[in-house]
Amino acid sequence: MAEMVKLFVNGQEVEVESGKNLIDALKVVGIEIPHFCYHPALGADGNCRMCLVGIEDGRPPLVPACKTPAQEGMKVQLDAEHIKKIQRDVLEFELINHPVDCPVCDQAGECALQDYYMSYSLDDSRMRVEQVTKGKKIDFGSGVVHDQERCVLCGRCVRFTRQITHTGELGIVNRTDAARVSIFPGKPLNNRYALNIVDICPVGAMTSSDFRFKQRVWFLQKDPGICHGCSKGCSIYIDHHREKYKDDVIYRFRARTNLKVNGYFICDFGRLSYAAENENRQTTATADGSAIGFDEAIELVRERLDRARKPLMLVSPDLSLEQMWAVKRIATLYGADLSGYSDSYVIDGDGDDYLINDDKAANRKGLELLDIDSSKEQFISTLQYTDLLVNFNNDLFYSGVDEELKAQLDKTQSIAVCSHQLPVFESATIALPTASYSEYGGTIVNEDYVLQRFDKALFKNEDPRDVLEITRLLGGAIIDAPHAWPGIRQSVADLADIDPETIPAEGLNLQNSEDTNVGA
Amino acid sequence: MSIKVRTVERKGRTFLEQLYLVEVIKGMTVTLGHFFRNLLDNSRLYVRHYPEVEPEITARWRGRHRLTRHEDGSVKCVACFMCQTNCPSNCIMIEAGERHDGRSEKMPTRFDIDLLECIYCGYCVEACPMDAIRMDTGIYSVTSYSRDSMVLGLEELLETPGAFDEEEYKKGGG
Repeated sequence: MAEMVKLFVNGQEVEVESGKNLIDALKVVGIEIPHFCYHPALGADGNCRMCLVGIEDGRPPLVPACKTPAQEGMKVQLDAEHIKKIQRDVLEFELINHPVDCPVCDQAGECALQDYYMSYSLDDSRMRVEQVTKGKKIDFGSGVVHDQERCVLCGRCVRFTRQITHTGELGIVNRTDAARVSIFPGKPLNNRYALNIVDICPVGAMTSSDFRFKQRVWFLQKDPGICHGCSKGCSIYIDHHREKYKDDVIYRFRARTNLKVNGYFICDFGRLSYAAENENRQTTATADGSAIGFDEAIELVRERLDRARKPLMLVSPDLSLEQMWAVKRIATLYGADLSGYSDSYVIDGDGDDYLINDDKAANRKGLELLDIDSSKEQFISTLQYTDLLVNFNNDLFYSGVDEELKAQLDKTQSIAVCSHQLPVFESATIALPTASYSEYGGTIVNEDYVLQRFDKALFKNEDPRDVLEITRLLGGAIIDAPHAWPGIRQSVADLADIDPETIPAEGLNLQNSEDTNVGA
Repeated sequence: MSIKVRTVERKGRTFLEQLYLVEVIKGMTVTLGHFFRNLLDNSRLYVRHYPEVEPEITARWRGRHRLTRHEDGSVKCVACFMCQTNCPSNCIMIEAGERHDGRSEKMPTRFDIDLLECIYCGYCVEACPMDAIRMDTGIYSVTSYSRDSMVLGLEELLETPGAFDEEEYKKGGG
């Protein structure tokens, strides 16, 4: 644990971590200091002056909280009259040329300027001259739309492209009321993390063309989740909403701060992967191309499995540990071979040294931990003599259709337990709809052996059964995710003393000793 | 303070009254008296001859909704969802889209009001920052043969004109 210091805020004693700046240190104990330009990932810039606080008997008596480390005995003034006046004045400056766009602005509801105005100002405008008008709806590329009028020139976006992506596409040009955030002529934003700019922008100056006007943010239900876009397993918020007479759908993914895995950001691919959760879903059970009832389909599958001489079960590397375990158990029950073959999920050279990985499978380490063979040789050789393939949502053609494999699959009788309608499942005689990762809870292990738990976020009108439930209906003994754990603990040494209930929100590193498990 | 007790004298205990028959005849005399008087001359009835004679609606009356336009004919609504947010019966369903007429950036592509669920409280009108939704159509009779046709769309809401002139509406507190 870091060293703690005692200081006074508005005369009240609080104990905070030393070394942190006042904004971060006091946030932990629930004291909010308003700020625009400071962001923990981008450091203190000190340009917005919103976080000015008074230090009693201090030299100087007024300091920006973002640049001031918490010190023993410090007497911080937050609600003194002169501090309140500073906050009001800074807001008045920010609002001189700020348009009253709130009704049409996507940021409304999660806008720092709006919130601070309500908490610290509420003054009427004193300006009697025409507002300076600037450019609106400027396409910055990579799905970022800029509105110059709403900008408060905090420079977070500029610092993001310089410090995080090191691409430096943005800059602030000109001064005073002619200052604008801009791209260089003909050089739009071109990096794979650009949409984080929309998240970090404290106001509505940066909006996402993908989310633009789709929904007002106060309608969205924000549930934590884990991105299944690659093996990094970034922490996300799943923002979803059920419109009247409609189904629960996801509107966007946002980065959730997790210093152990992804820090403050996620990649654009992962952010936009929410769309796949809404589209192209397998919603009904089908047999030989025609829709049948789900229970009927389960009966059929059971029958086929009982009849099969040597079935082969293929699990997806995206499944949760519990689901993999459940499939493993029913594979033993039916005397089936088990494979986790998923080479197609690896796209060589796609990853980078930041968050994106070559391997697009969310739980490959889980396959390894549960000792499920994912070699190509084993899968191909088993596929030769098997008379029934049960594919648990494994997209063998993730990186394009493999003709050789397709010919082989077409020859084999197969059953697909699938969440999406994909080319790989076309050859299946029976297809069972199943839940995708936002519709069930479980645990996955990312590429760095960080075990993370996530809960069911979406509740569809017709809730799809998840893989674990389907294995239960096929005769498996595991009734739900918690019931998979005694078995997992017994057979996997690395998970021997894991209780899924006590996995911290930022995950648990399975490989390293305690020191890495202490939150940063 | 103690509770005051007042004894009420009970009536109707005389022999004649307890026979009932006399009282029934007395009552029927009054009823039939009214009946024949109205039958012979109905001009003095205290009843509105609805639907032949329609009631007079004031500008403050909250009738069926409509969406208003600017003077140049463009839609006033900017799809800010304030009415939907404020609606206690959750009967407004909006979808927003890009706007190209230079007025603003945003406009509704779908604006549905489910009149079966609406409780005509007028909160949507109060919430609207653009004065885009009003309940001044003077339409008080909202009936239909099917549920589907009770959901009004954007076009229908824009088509309906207001029943009052601007001044009268403003005077009514609009």
